[in-house]
Amino acid sequence: MNQSAQLPPQLSTFAPDVDWMYLFLFWVSVASFVAIVGVMVYFVFRYRRRPGVDAVPTGHGNTALEIAWTFLPLILLVFLFHEGFRVYVQESVAPQNTVDIHVRGMQWNWEFTHSNGVQEFNQAKIPVHTPVRMIMSSSDVLHSFYVPDFRIKRDVVPGMYSTLWFEATELSTPEHPVRVFCAEYCGAARGGTNGAEPNTNHSTMMADLHIIPQADYATFLREGGGPPAECTGAADDVSVCWGQHIYEQNGCRACHGVDGATQAPGPNWKGLFGHDVALEGGASVTADEAYIRQSILEPQAQIVHGFGNINMPPYHLRDQEIDAVIAYMRSLDQ
Amino acid sequence: MTVEAEAAIHADPHHIPADADYLTYERGWKSWLTTVDHKRIGVMYLISILLAFFAGGVFALILRTELLTPGRTIMEADTYNEMFTLHGAIMVFLFIIPSIPAAIGNFVLPIMLGAKDVAFPKLNLASLYIYWVGAIFTLVAITQGHIDTGWTFYTPYSTRADNSAIWMTIGVFILGFSSILTGLNFIATVHTMRGPGMHWRRLPLFIWGTYATAVIQVLATPVLAITLALLAMEKIVGVGVFDPALGGDPVLFQHFFWFYSHPAVYIMILPGMAIVNEVIATFSRRKIFGYMFIAMSSVALALLGFLVWGHHMFVSGQSEYATMVFSALTFLVAIPSGVKIFNWLATLYQGSISLESPMLYSLAFIALFTIGGLTGLFLGTLSTDIHLHDTYFVVAHFHYVMVGGTVFGFLSGLHYWWPKITGRLYDERWARVAFSLVFIGFNVTFLSQFVLGSRGMPRRYYSYLDQFQPLHMTSSGGAYVLGVGFLVMAVMFAKSLKSGEKAGRNPWGSAGYEWQTSPRPHPHNFAEQPVFTRGPYDYHLASERELFTGTDAEWDTHVAKKAEA
Ligand code: HEC
Ligand code: HEM
Ligand SMILES: [Cu+2]
Ligand SMILES: [Cu+2]
Repeated sequence: MNQSAQLPPQLSTFAPDVDWMYLFLFWVSVASFVAIVGVMVYFVFRYRRRPGVDAVPTGHGNTALEIAWTFLPLILLVFLFHEGFRVYVQESVAPQNTVDIHVRGMQWNWEFTHSNGVQEFNQAKIPVHTPVRMIMSSSDVLHSFYVPDFRIKRDVVPGMYSTLWFEATELSTPEHPVRVFCAEYCGAARGGTNGAEPNTNHSTMMADLHIIPQADYATFLREGGGPPAECTGAADDVSVCWGQHIYEQNGCRACHGVDGATQAPGPNWKGLFGHDVALEGGASVTADEAYIRQSILEPQAQIVHGFGNINMPPYHLRDQEIDAVIAYMRSLDQ
Repeated sequence: MTVEAEAAIHADPHHIPADADYLTYERGWKSWLTTVDHKRIGVMYLISILLAFFAGGVFALILRTELLTPGRTIMEADTYNEMFTLHGAIMVFLFIIPSIPAAIGNFVLPIMLGAKDVAFPKLNLASLYIYWVGAIFTLVAITQGHIDTGWTFYTPYSTRADNSAIWMTIGVFILGFSSILTGLNFIATVHTMRGPGMHWRRLPLFIWGTYATAVIQVLATPVLAITLALLAMEKIVGVGVFDPALGGDPVLFQHFFWFYSHPAVYIMILPGMAIVNEVIATFSRRKIFGYMFIAMSSVALALLGFLVWGHHMFVSGQSEYATMVFSALTFLVAIPSGVKIFNWLATLYQGSISLESPMLYSLAFIALFTIGGLTGLFLGTLSTDIHLHDTYFVVAHFHYVMVGGTVFGFLSGLHYWWPKITGRLYDERWARVAFSLVFIGFNVTFLSQFVLGSRGMPRRYYSYLDQFQPLHMTSSGGAYVLGVGFLVMAVMFAKSLKSGEKAGRNPWGSAGYEWQTSPRPHPHNFAEQPVFTRGPYDYHLASERELFTGTDAEWDTHVAKKAEA
């Protein structure tokens, strides 16, 4: 099926089937609309009121006609139902040999966990030409995982797993990744500013899917996720670069400032590491490695004074990643 | 109203002079607040819903202004979210649900039946008061509580923050009661108050439509009440019903919500269709083709409407089996809708058609409702719905049905019965200018949204990708034209109230019986109890006097002239 200007690019195996149906419906609708409105306009013109010409009384109607236009459309409707259902069944039943990726939706980020335990935030590597299954849940409210280019969508519900599968048909470039949107309304921070920033409210709860060759994905699964490519080449400290990458990519930036000044929903990271932190309830603690680690893995364990009203979601970062975050925090104070 | 006046109203109608009219028979705001006259109650409803429509419209324009640019235009994300909640909730609960039944229905239904009033006049006044209380409650709750859940209140978002969503839902709960009472009243009225000769097969189709609507109101609204009660219980007592943190099921809320809200869609559209029947018959001078089929299709829509709520939940995680059944049932709804359209077209055939403003709105209804219905097929078809659900395609679809359908139907009815309600004519040229602006503005606003949606723009988005900006700007431009159209209409009606020409009793030359009362009806609707000897669309049986469009004085000259000749 050819690409239509009404629809996004076709980048999954489902897209051609869905688009065929869409365009079929489109042309059926155009034809029906033209027929109905055409007849209407013709009658209005043909039977416009003229002096001396009265309307012909309606009489008793025409039962045969009524039955015809009651039942003839059924043929079309049955066809629509059947075709739509056929594709829906394909979309609902994943093949046996899928690559599984766990997805967690949280206000307003997407967390992807690959089968090797590596996590990615608001972006994910996806192997091309491979059935991929997303096993999804939410840690707060309803979200919906929507990839227009794949023509798929599924709600992400707290307390329940929902799944969805697809097979990408084309590699993506870093500049043009495949975009994930949240299609179930999930709010915005009260009093937040600059809602156009990525991952700060429902409308910017997006993620990028990077469609990579199967071989690259296999290598990634084997070797796990080290620091991103742009950091391994960096002249200065790889960990600091990686930590900053996590800060920017994993959604920390939405709540934490790093310049010691900005008024954000969460505490500022500048001047944090190694200093004392006042906690809710009056106690105080030194921000050492253990404290930072716990603050990330179990944020609710110790709450910073004055921040009791907003919940930081837990982030399951791996040890290396936490070390990188700490390295980044320390670099802020230099 | 004084005790004596109250007594007089219930006494023999002959105690009220035959030339009295309902607007001026009693005066002063007290007489309005204590009236049991369905016409006055209808007028008060009309004013209330028009205020709500104005407020909802202002919010719509604010939304469209924000959407002119991808990032911040005039407000922040949280404010935008509150604004679309206000817009949606006001339009649905305060404007469109009570619009045609409570305002126009109240006014014309008893007159059409040849009844003095509705079956329970005091209950009727009570529903108006309940509506007011519910409206104030809802508005205070929304503005005080910063409610940003959308009009759908999906859990757990709606129950996470604080209790404000509960206050709001209590407001909606109160509004629901008003709706139930009006429904009950109409059902009882249609069953017991029909005048001599007004048997079921002669009932005007407006009444059939309103009757079907009333049945849905009475059956579906309690479900909303139960849902809201459960929501309140969860929030206040901590019973886990919807919140997974308490062991509840958030998807259950959606089932409950749509079990009411899908039928509510028919509470909104059936009365619009009901008006179109009357207007098409009058302006084609012809009985509606397939009268019984139109009447029964309303009843069929009312019943089928209860069976398709799950089509709002195809991607929610309900079972595949349920999804299949709901998709199949949804297609069935297309049948009675199609039947109506075909019968309207057949009515035009061999008619004697004139295109005054009420007819323009009704013909526009047919065209726009056709678009709304056809795009519904995209959403009932599973494969395409998965892509289109919760995108602007849906926003465009429901605006075609609710604005292109119900609001155009409402405007058609308002223009049509305006002379009966106010006793005055309006300037037809300006009415057509307003119609053109509203029609063009509406289509520009929402046609562009279909394309936005099919290209993947989700709804309830404060910010959007740059590539969508041209279509968003087009849509906003259309909304401003629409706004100007409504402004022109408001001025046109205001001028009519102030200095409009006095109307005759039947300015459109309709065979409908409501046009046989004096221009502004007698407090008891008819000075003499009418006897229905023909159907309300039997033009060939109506007398020349009945179809005469001028004032009574003009009729006298007409008769005198004829005698001379
Ligand atoms: C939704 C907003 C939000 C996001 C997103 C967020 N945090 Fe937090 N964070 C908070 C809040 C609020 C606190 C203070 C309350 C507490 O201690 O739990 C906090 C506290 C912390 C602390 C302790 C800080 C101190 O001053 O004691 C650390 C460390 C931390 N977050 C790390 C992270 C990291 C790493 C990320 C990203 C992977 C992140 N946060 C993302 C809101 C957020
Ligand atoms: C008159 C011109 C109107 C304009 C320009 C307009 C515009 C809008 C816009 C921009 C949205 C937000 C879409 C989104 O992001 O989801 C919206 C939502 C909505 N509108 Fe309108 N609207 C209009 C009239 C109406 C009317 C008459 C109704 C009556 C039923 C209505 C009912 C709704 C509903 C129910 C929503 C959904 C709100 C929600 O998502 O919670 N609108 N409208
Ligand atoms: Cu979301
Ligand atoms: Cu529905």
